[in-house]
Amino acid sequence: MFRLRPAFSGGIVLPARAPRPGDASIRQLPFAPLLYLPLRQHAGRPAAAVLREGDEVARGQLLAAADGATSVPLHAPATGRIIGIVERADPAGGTVQVIQLEPFPGDTQEYPAGPARDPETAGAAGAAAIIDALRDAGVVGMGGEAQPAHARLAAACEQGMGMLVINGIEVEHVFSRVPAILRQHAADVLVGVRFLLAALGAAGQAARAVLAVEEQDGDAARSLVAAAPAGLPLALRVLSPRYPQGAELLLLRGLAKEGGLAPFGASPHRPHRQSHPGALCFNVATVAEIGRLLAHGQSVTDQVVTLAGGALREPGNYRVPLGTPLGFALAEAGLRAAPARVLEGGPMRGEALASLEKPITKGMTGFVALDRQEAGALEPPLPCIRCGECVAACPIQLHPAELGLLARKGELKAMHEEYHLDYCFECGCCAYVCPSHIPLVQVFRAAKAQWRRRQPAPVEEGA
Amino acid sequence: MPQGSQPLHLAAAPHLHGGSAVRRLMLHTVIALLPATLFGVALFGLAALATIGVAILACLLAERLCAPRSALGDGSALLTGLLLGLSLPPALPLWMAAVGGFVAILIGKHLFGGLGGPAFHPAMVGRVFLQAAFPAAMAQGWVAPFASGRATGLPASSLAAPFMSPAAGYDVFSGATPLAAARLGEGTAPLWDLWLGTVAGSSGETSAVLLLAGGLYLVAVRAADWRIPVAVLASVAALSGALHGFDPARFPGVLTALGSGSLMLGAWFLATDPGSSPMTRSGAWVYGLAIGALVVVIRQFSGQPEGVMYALLLGSALVPHIDRWTRPRPLGWRDSR
Repeated sequence: MFRLRPAFSGGIVLPARAPRPGDASIRQLPFAPLLYLPLRQHAGRPAAAVLREGDEVARGQLLAAADGATSVPLHAPATGRIIGIVERADPAGGTVQVIQLEPFPGDTQEYPAGPARDPETAGAAGAAAIIDALRDAGVVGMGGEAQPAHARLAAACEQGMGMLVINGIEVEHVFSRVPAILRQHAADVLVGVRFLLAALGAAGQAARAVLAVEEQDGDAARSLVAAAPAGLPLALRVLSPRYPQGAELLLLRGLAKEGGLAPFGASPHRPHRQSHPGALCFNVATVAEIGRLLAHGQSVTDQVVTLAGGALREPGNYRVPLGTPLGFALAEAGLRAAPARVLEGGPMRGEALASLEKPITKGMTGFVALDRQEAGALEPPLPCIRCGECVAACPIQLHPAELGLLARKGELKAMHEEYHLDYCFECGCCAYVCPSHIPLVQVFRAAKAQWRRRQPAPVEEGA
Repeated sequence: MPQGSQPLHLAAAPHLHGGSAVRRLMLHTVIALLPATLFGVALFGLAALATIGVAILACLLAERLCAPRSALGDGSALLTGLLLGLSLPPALPLWMAAVGGFVAILIGKHLFGGLGGPAFHPAMVGRVFLQAAFPAAMAQGWVAPFASGRATGLPASSLAAPFMSPAAGYDVFSGATPLAAARLGEGTAPLWDLWLGTVAGSSGETSAVLLLAGGLYLVAVRAADWRIPVAVLASVAALSGALHGFDPARFPGVLTALGSGSLMLGAWFLATDPGSSPMTRSGAWVYGLAIGALVVVIRQFSGQPEGVMYALLLGSALVPHIDRWTRPRPLGWRDSR
């Protein structure tokens, strides 16, 4: 198996994840006394509630139906009673309805399997059957963006894509979902691959799949691929570690350069938003869920996340019922005293949270509870010394230094129109390498927000 | 909720930092210069020590006048003073070294906006001011290598009263630097002496070997971009090699060109200054090659024996253009729409 060098310049090599005993396992989290289920747990329109306050539900029962093509239904994560449906602020803006579900204490919380499905038979009935099954199971992408999986599959089928890329790269190096899924859910991943290939095959030409992982997970990936049924067109690519090559755009470009994909041209506008450059890309966690749920006729009721950080006694991977408040999950993972900082997401891109009441929802990747030492002291920023380290580190070849200097002068127009700030996906490499400790990502986010407010009307993007 | 009453700390991503810091870069550079500095002091004695010390003190004092006390901690003024001191003739009147230090920091640095602002290396601004204001002192203040009594006393010229030229002139050493000697047709020093540094010259520029070692250290700790010195030296080697091949009697050989003057000091420690060099990696090549070419042209075809300082200043003047020519194109960008 040969090594593939990252096919983009820039990026950074982060210190390797310290191996933890729980890396290769996934522990089941118990049910919190009360679950909070926002009706928007995905990119797209919120689901529409079909039940009322006071209704009793069984685990896996439909709580809210998909509203339109880019929406997914929501199912009850536990057998219990709906004690309220309230309006709450939505992190994505505006408000969203939240179902409060009280699991029945003492209930076995069993989730009986539905009608079994077989990938090849399902594929024989046409791609639409698999796409519908994906939507009905409420599956969203688990790489962090939480896009409805069926919508992506439908788009890929429509365009006749012949390639499935399984993204097994942990973008945030402290998370360990990938090794756990590769080892614990290898069979599910393989079934998921068969479902997705069957759908692509039913829609167009015969499709093949590539699993991409970084070196540290190479062994687990090799045994997974070795266990594939004969004839499954599944190849493996092991890449040397480099942040942020797990970002879809960079990964697909890398594979395209290597020759696995038809060359694709990114549009000059927002190339990172282009989600269909010749291949359908799913996170390995998504593929495992697809395999597990579709084969057994079940729906998404929980989410696998990594809980990491020095403030936890038992960091590791947890299967968390949807709607579990973060504070409850962290307490179960052995939260010591008070964490200094809690991040939704990893240390490079994660958002610091002001409260631990946020419920864990579909598509989340993990949380980090930093202790005082990890959080460190905030270094006061110095002026830019124009060393150019950030220019070399930017994986999409922007000019962070110039952008930072322009931001000081409030030159929003030049930042966007000459230096293409809108391409930036806030990976944080520039701020990571900056010897002056300039919070470049923060500066860029503020500039983007200001620029958007200044635009007369939001530019509608083509799908 | 287990978080108790203690508020959570908010900060913007990324929550990790690679550990690079301005202070660290500056201190590494100072460390890398120490061998050449100590050698200079051993070679030229108290005169070199006093020149370097006065230049550093003047820079620190000027920095303190312009910036809060905390700014001294980043080490940049210390480094500017050290580089200025190392690039001055050892028997220069000390008051001139002090003037150079003030000019470097007040005009070269803070007039351009302080740290990160200068378009030209502040130490070179200070030096070019001295060159223009006191050409005689800058051309004659040399000390013979290993002169007797160097460890116990200062040359009379060092102690000249402020705003005065030394009454007795610069009679300490009647010779000249190898480059000046070559210009006068007196032949150059043996290669061995040139590379070891046992020749006359500025306090810290003579030992090519020690400067090269310091430069390699800088690159090893990633405190400087290796592309710039490599490009400067390659450019000097290629051009002087071509000229030497054309007329060996008139033009010195490659090893002489590389080992003489302040080329090593300039290539490894002055050209790599982040503020006055390009921000892109391809720009670093252009910048380095341009400086190397200018060094050879000035040394061989102008009235000056040495051209590193002017080459650096001219190279820095090109930087805004180089940065524009080599501006990175975003991934996936195509010019033709």
